[in-house]
Amino acid sequence: MRGGPQRGSVLVEQLVGTMLTLLVLGTLVAVVGTGTTLLLAAAARGEVEDTAQLAVEAFTFDVRRAGYDPTAAGLVPVSEARPDRLTLAADLNGDGVVAATSEETTAYACAAQQLSRIIGRQSLPLAGGVLACGLRYLDATGLPLAVPPGGLDVAGRSRIRAVWLDLTVRQRGTPTNRSVVIALRSTP
Amino acid sequence: MKHRARGAGERGAALAAALVALAVSAALVAGLTDAVRTEVILARERRSMVAALAAADACIAQHLATVPFGWDLDALLLGPDGAGGTPDDGTIVTPPGCTGSVARAPGPASPPRVLLGIDAAARGGRRLVDAVIVRDPTAATPALVWTTLPPSPDAVTGTMALDGADADPASADLPGLAAPAAPADLDGWLAAQRPHIAQTPRTAAPIRALPPPLSELATRAEAAGPGGAELLAPQGAPSSPPALALVGGDLVVSDARQGSGVLVVEGALDIRGSLDFTGVVVAVGGVKIAGGATLGVAGALWLGAPWPPTAPLTVAGHLTLRQSRAAIAAAEGVFALPRRAILRGVRDVG
Repeated sequence: MRGGPQRGSVLVEQLVGTMLTLLVLGTLVAVVGTGTTLLLAAAARGEVEDTAQLAVEAFTFDVRRAGYDPTAAGLVPVSEARPDRLTLAADLNGDGVVAATSEETTAYACAAQQLSRIIGRQSLPLAGGVLACGLRYLDATGLPLAVPPGGLDVAGRSRIRAVWLDLTVRQRGTPTNRSVVIALRSTP
Repeated sequence: MKHRARGAGERGAALAAALVALAVSAALVAGLTDAVRTEVILARERRSMVAALAAADACIAQHLATVPFGWDLDALLLGPDGAGGTPDDGTIVTPPGCTGSVARAPGPASPPRVLLGIDAAARGGRRLVDAVIVRDPTAATPALVWTTLPPSPDAVTGTMALDGADADPASADLPGLAAPAAPADLDGWLAAQRPHIAQTPRTAAPIRALPPPLSELATRAEAAGPGGAELLAPQGAPSSPPALALVGGDLVVSDARQGSGVLVVEGALDIRGSLDFTGVVVAVGGVKIAGGATLGVAGALWLGAPWPPTAPLTVAGHLTLRQSRAAIAAAEGVFALPRRAILRGVRDVG
């Protein structure tokens, strides 16, 4: 048969136990929450870095081959050069003609928080959540050409020796920046 | 003190909570590890790709540096043995880390061009690149003095003035000397000749270059219907238009002469008087400038070596050279000058 002192002791034990349990659970929840946040942040950071890097790789790939002209047909590597849009041409199959509806005509467009790669008439989003996206064009001395709102004219485009892409992307969490300068391989 | 014995249902939740915590933590760590591992793999792959791409670009650049100046690229298609119809046709000697081949480009034969295919590997990555190689459409000289052999240590006992700046301030400065020797050796030669050589600040440092194609140049000059030494007018006479002059053997200039265009001397150019020339002076047998004599060239001086090979340049008098792109362009107007091979487009194949 239980006595009074024994009953009080159990109550204290239960209270202490409850407190300890709450403490442990709280710590556990905090740890799990922190871990989850860390995991999500790492995943988001990885994703945004991947997105930006893939965009830069595609841009590099296309600018490098702009003006590829094995038949010496007199191909113009840059057919459009604006601060927010660039169109490149390359005779990839060596038939002397640049097909407007194939990969031989590739454009990059910064619009509506998005960087898109446009192949022929097909638009492919490269990066969403774009905070900043700009194109600059460098001449033979490495200086940026002044680009009017309507873009460079034929004479101006013939002076382009390198293209500069500035890109800032934030999809979740910390934004990431990329600045890349790619020289045209088809010009002196 | 009396303790209660634990019953079967009174073990508490500590163990279960600990197991749950462990499981959740393990899942989180596993997820994080997987994400990091994926990113590391991606970064490694990207680094390999970039390294291989850079290796391909470097391979192209290094191969271009081995292509002699010339008028076409047919020799590249013949392979290392220089003969057509042999198994090595189209193969090229490449630097370590890459392999390559050359093929005729599609389309018309002119302008001369070839397709260079490069397979480069670096840091575990591999890239295939096709490159279009052409001759530089703009005639140029690699330096004010371009020689087949490096100058001898006692080449200049008189004076030599070099000005690598062009009248057009936008033009790149030109080196004073280009020769098939290590740049450090050429720097050393220039330093040793310092009391005798005056360079303007805009004269670039000497560079290594393959020898000028003097033999083919002379052959082409002969075929172009040139004039002779009579095209060198007395100094003070009204200037005549640029012309191609070819002298079959040695040319001795013992009085004061002037000329413009291209002067090709298949022997030695021996200056005992004075010669002012605007354009390109080619002396297959080298140049000798006697004490008190003067040679002034606005353009370029391309030198071979006398046979047996000795010094391509002997200056006891005065030699003055300055860059003039206009003079080179005018010379090109009367005779097609050799061009360097340049890259004119790439395509990343894979």
